[in-house]
Amino acid sequence: MPAKIERPLKVMLIDDNSIDLKINSKIILLSKLFDEIIQCQSAEEALNFFSQYKNQPEKLPHLILLDIQMPEMDGFEFLDKYKNYPPVTKEKSLIAMLSSTLDFGDIKKAEANPYVIKLLKKPLSTLELEKFFKASFG
Amino acid sequence: MTRSPVKVLYIDDEENNLLAFKASFRRQYEIYTANSAAEGLKVLENLPVEVIIADQKMPHTTGVEFFKSITHSYPDPIRILLTGYTDIAALADAINHGDIYRYITKPWNDLELHNSIKNAHDAYRAKIDLRNKVMELEKTNDELNRFIYSISHELRAPLVSVIGIVNLVKMEGLYHSSGEYWELIESCSNKLDYYIQKTLQYYKNNKNVSDKSSIDFQRLVAEIIDLYAYTDRDTKFNVDIIQSNQFMGDAFRIEVILGNLISNAIKYQKDNEQNKVVDIRIEVSSFSAEIWIADNGLGILNEHLEKIFTQFFKTKNNKGSGLGLFIVKEALNKINGKIDVSSSLDQGTTFKITIPNAG
Repeated sequence: MPAKIERPLKVMLIDDNSIDLKINSKIILLSKLFDEIIQCQSAEEALNFFSQYKNQPEKLPHLILLDIQMPEMDGFEFLDKYKNYPPVTKEKSLIAMLSSTLDFGDIKKAEANPYVIKLLKKPLSTLELEKFFKASFG
Repeated sequence: MTRSPVKVLYIDDEENNLLAFKASFRRQYEIYTANSAAEGLKVLENLPVEVIIADQKMPHTTGVEFFKSITHSYPDPIRILLTGYTDIAALADAINHGDIYRYITKPWNDLELHNSIKNAHDAYRAKIDLRNKVMELEKTNDELNRFIYSISHELRAPLVSVIGIVNLVKMEGLYHSSGEYWELIESCSNKLDYYIQKTLQYYKNNKNVSDKSSIDFQRLVAEIIDLYAYTDRDTKFNVDIIQSNQFMGDAFRIEVILGNLISNAIKYQKDNEQNKVVDIRIEVSSFSAEIWIADNGLGILNEHLEKIFTQFFKTKNNKGSGLGLFIVKEALNKINGKIDVSSSLDQGTTFKITIPNAG
């Protein structure tokens, strides 16, 4: 189900690797698909963000790009915690995983998770992103 | 290293024999005795016995019957059968079904029995040692596989960042800003990524698990072509798939096999060829899938045909890693598939694969 689009469109990047965070932000910026990029260096930071703005849906991202392998809390653990958030907080955000993994287990797990609409592969290409954007946001 | 004495269980319904046995051997072995099969089983349940001696002629359960009854529950202890009769039928039965190590006639000769117990114990140790070695080896092998697997992942993450940066350089129009350096970085990075992906494929293939799922060749081939076609936009694909039967197979390995062969068919084209063509034909029956992948590319020298499936075999043109076809062959071995190749230089190459339908 495509989310409601109301500008400004926000995307959240969750990635422990600051270089990847920088690269992917830049790619999103150049793609001009989103108006605002929220960067989180850990899953923890992202959860804090959601707690902080749980009653202000206008602050929440329309799309979350979630890395899988991260120290302390990985992408799947993040999803486990995220699913306990109230529906108002969750209904706005679509989640795609963004990872360099080729691991069958990870891929299957991502596909099986009801919150994850797609597993995007690093390096993120604008072409892929545009295709995905069109499919999800119309 | 001093070894603890050998644990011997002796089962005999004649009390005198048990006493005589204890008297003769109590200094050499740790002896447990039982006067019936049922009592013997109780001892086995509680103690790691290494050698079992049982009398053949006992009421209720004979020695051979007892040995037969414990072949699955206690396979490790070495068995010695004692009997006062030369009963050929019992002997044959003992050897065929009871997994008996020695057959000794009563009354026993102390030295003979002692030697038999000693040999039996050696056999026991050898059996256990071998099992431990196999377990150790499996564990090491497993660790090695996992190590290579996780190191490949760890190597790939920063490499993918590099490729991402090169993409950004392109997007910002800086690709040609430093002569050909960006192009070289890109080509090295892609090559490295290719090696890492092949390594991962190889080790994934090495793991023995093979899940069976239903395979739609039409979809699979379309996905693979989609994945590799970008490397050469000029190549035309003729795909002809006849699948009216369900095909059950190992999706990962079949994808690896087709992926490697199709990407090779694209890679080994002639640069100056105007009509680069790859023909893919698949016929699925209830027994098997027969797959032909043919290109009109460079072809393979006759003397190279035998070597193309060996690890790290490369040709001079330097395009390959020497892993692709090796992995194809390994993957086919795991799923009982077959591959044939025919080729003529400058005309092209045809691979024919047969994969059994596990459905």
